[in-house]
Amino acid sequence: MTDVSPAAGPQADTAATTITLAANPRQRALRLHRELSQVWANDRGLWGQVTAVSHTTLGLRFMATAFVFFAIGGILSMLIRAQLATPDGAFLDTELYNQIFTMHGTIMMFLFAIPMLEGIAIWLLPKMLGTRDMAFPRLTALGYWCYLFGGLIMLTALLFGVAPRDGWFMYTPLSNAVFSPGINADVWLLGVTFVEISAIAAAIEITVTILRQRAPGMRLMEMPLFAWYMLGTSAMMLVGFPPLIAGSVLLEMERAFDWPFFDPTRGGDPLLWQHLFWLFGHPEVYIIFLPAAGVMSMMIPVLCRTTILGYGAIVAAILALVFLSFGLWVHHMFTVGIPHMALAFFSAASVLVAVPTAVQIFAWIGTMWKGNPQLHLPMYHILGFFLTFVMGGLTGVMLAIVPFNWQAHDTAFVTAHLHYVLIGGFVFPMMAAATYWMPLMTGKRRIKGLGEAAFWVILIGFHGTFFIMHLTGLLGMPRRIDVYPDNPEWIWLNLTSSIFGFVLTIGFAMYAMDLILQATLGKRQSRDPWQAPTLDWAMPLPAPNYNFASLPTARHLRRDAREVILPLARGEGVLAGAPRGQREFLVTSVGDATPDHVAILPGNTALPLALSSAIGAFVLLMLASLYALAGLALLPVAALIWVWARGMAPQDSLHPVEVAPNFRLPVHHHAMTSLGQSGLFALLIANGTLYASLLFGLAFLSVVTPGPEVPAATVGGVPVVSALGVLAASLVAAQFATADQSATNALVALVGNLVALAALLSVLPFLDDPTAHARDALRAALAGYVGLHVLVAAGMAAFVFDQHRRSEVTATQQGAWPACRLWQRYTGAVTLITLVVAIAQEVLT
Amino acid sequence: MKWLGAVLIGPTLWFAIFLAVYGLHGLICAQWGVVDFSGRAVMIVVWGIGVALFWPLLRYMPAGHACSIDLPRAGLWIGLGATVFTLFPVLIASSCS
Repeated sequence: MTDVSPAAGPQADTAATTITLAANPRQRALRLHRELSQVWANDRGLWGQVTAVSHTTLGLRFMATAFVFFAIGGILSMLIRAQLATPDGAFLDTELYNQIFTMHGTIMMFLFAIPMLEGIAIWLLPKMLGTRDMAFPRLTALGYWCYLFGGLIMLTALLFGVAPRDGWFMYTPLSNAVFSPGINADVWLLGVTFVEISAIAAAIEITVTILRQRAPGMRLMEMPLFAWYMLGTSAMMLVGFPPLIAGSVLLEMERAFDWPFFDPTRGGDPLLWQHLFWLFGHPEVYIIFLPAAGVMSMMIPVLCRTTILGYGAIVAAILALVFLSFGLWVHHMFTVGIPHMALAFFSAASVLVAVPTAVQIFAWIGTMWKGNPQLHLPMYHILGFFLTFVMGGLTGVMLAIVPFNWQAHDTAFVTAHLHYVLIGGFVFPMMAAATYWMPLMTGKRRIKGLGEAAFWVILIGFHGTFFIMHLTGLLGMPRRIDVYPDNPEWIWLNLTSSIFGFVLTIGFAMYAMDLILQATLGKRQSRDPWQAPTLDWAMPLPAPNYNFASLPTARHLRRDAREVILPLARGEGVLAGAPRGQREFLVTSVGDATPDHVAILPGNTALPLALSSAIGAFVLLMLASLYALAGLALLPVAALIWVWARGMAPQDSLHPVEVAPNFRLPVHHHAMTSLGQSGLFALLIANGTLYASLLFGLAFLSVVTPGPEVPAATVGGVPVVSALGVLAASLVAAQFATADQSATNALVALVGNLVALAALLSVLPFLDDPTAHARDALRAALAGYVGLHVLVAAGMAAFVFDQHRRSEVTATQQGAWPACRLWQRYTGAVTLITLVVAIAQEVLT
Repeated sequence: MKWLGAVLIGPTLWFAIFLAVYGLHGLICAQWGVVDFSGRAVMIVVWGIGVALFWPLLRYMPAGHACSIDLPRAGLWIGLGATVFTLFPVLIASSCS
């Protein structure tokens, strides 16, 4: 019998439902495996790699590519250390040195750390949550290609000597067109923004996957801690990355079109860039740390043969970290002349954030204390993490204190601190994670000896390099200098750091060799080698693309993986096999993971590669300053997005699917709240943050920046009427888009948006010259933002109209209507807010 | 979803109050160049109202379950603690210098 019944409980949908799905009848595991493999496998050969959308393939590829970039970043760091080994280093000239330290930081932050955490989440989450793939497989692939192409653009620039050279934070005015002519800074601004498409894509699908794809009965407070950590991380990425994207777009517009957002002589402010950058930059540290803490929380209990201590306290600590990390950004700006009271706010927040971090550290130590720690290789790296990260955390508390920060700011002390935090808090846990999950990735057993040796070489090399760097910093050595002929007291310290830096690199090479040997020469590994109680080990080794022959339910949770491997492989879970010849998984509700519907996924396709190539062409044309052509390059982007959306149209059977005996669920075309709607909602959160960043810029420049006198506005009555026309047409479109789903309403919404767009275009000639003053530039930028959204809304209305024409919208089938409604409402809201802000600005100034 | 929303209330409230007081401080300094008694009083009042908002929330937030820790209530305590600790400088710190 099937029982999906609400249980007693006045609130909290985490625990409000009891789910008991009957087991499907037992089948032959091998037959199921063959059936599923045929449906879920990548295409053969090289083309198969191009068209792959499987989370297993792409997760591994993300991690492998990130590791390659890590190696490149490491080589660059060796060049830096070679230069600094002697006071008059002639190894690199200043120009090349600047490019190399900028690229080292950029690669490690944007091309290694973020993609690595995306990769491990994409690869691991569906396995841990008991599903077969991420929510949007084509988006996973698009993210990968954007990451790869963005990274290649930056690497190519380095090879041709035109890499960015202004530091990984691109401070203005150093990075503006006057002080940084050429395309070096553009490579960073456009390349990093291109790569960030991948981060936003990953954040959306990680959020949706965790909230909507957990195994039936896996309530939020029962999911593996890694999922909590990734939920926090993805939320932070959705809110943390848009300020940087906004800043990058504004700076690129300043460089390309002379719109003076950051030029103090025309009402701009370089500090606006710093605010936008660090609004991203500090949460970024936690975005990197939380996934690492997530894998630690999974590995430590297993390696200590016990359960995690303080699950709830850790979840609360994650919650605190996610929020507090957004209240710290100014501690990177303590020396820019911000008033003492504001400094004190951020200093207090910076000290406070140590508390939730400490909660986690003590929970892990307590877990080890109550368990029986076993010194397997992952545990070596975990202990390396404890030693290193705690030291980095303590120097972080030192830097949170304003007077100390003023002394140590921009010195090698900060370099040492950030490497302790990032290598301690991310690289050591990731190395532990790789050694822990290698059997699942490769199906191979480790060759003992080399990994342990690599750990010791890395540990000694790391502390030899960076511990001493604290002292170098306290002796006053600034960051980012290439020679120091007048400071003999720094010589032995730098030489020592350089020698140990090379030791560290040798250690990483040994570590990589260990993984390669395991993957190629290792003996076959038996299932569930760690005897873990999580679903990620309840599958064959190496993990197949489909993960589970049948999906686990409540009765498969909280049991040792080896107890549930066979029942799941024999189809005794739900949604067994692939009898309909299509990729399917179960979508569940957010709180208590009640089965909601069955999602049918697209198969292998080259569309993500084509779309990322089109976006790449746009980026390259922008880099070449061919702005008109770049605008045209957006046409294929729009066309491919249309084709992408067409690919989601129903093509196969739409009958309800029997996922368990006597229990049928509708397919996603008939679902009330599909994954696509959840994904769009997540995208709008990121989009709304970007818009809020622009408004923050407007407020900051209006209130804080002293700047020159604002020129009198010359906007007359015509544009005001036109602007009101934009608003009216947009609201009419929103009204019809949110009414009943009919072809007529879709058509009216389309016309309304086109009228709004025409009205907006009629305003543009009357706006003040955006190159004259930052206020006018920001106003034009906001108008552009609204225009882009109206254009997209028109496209969505046209798409829905086309769906009606093709009879793909019926009484029970919503087509793209929910997405269209959501976007149209958002567009109406930002149009209204923008108009109110513009009017308020006119009235107040 | 309601439960998730309840979990987020406390920290979100802290963030809103933090931004409000920080923004107010920026506004006062930009407008008058100094935070005099009345300016500081306004900031303290905003801070105090923010802290007071937690009281009814803590009082009426339904008790959670399904876990050793009541996460919505923990979220409120996190928000309250952060509001008190991160904004206490309005009492003592020098103003716009």
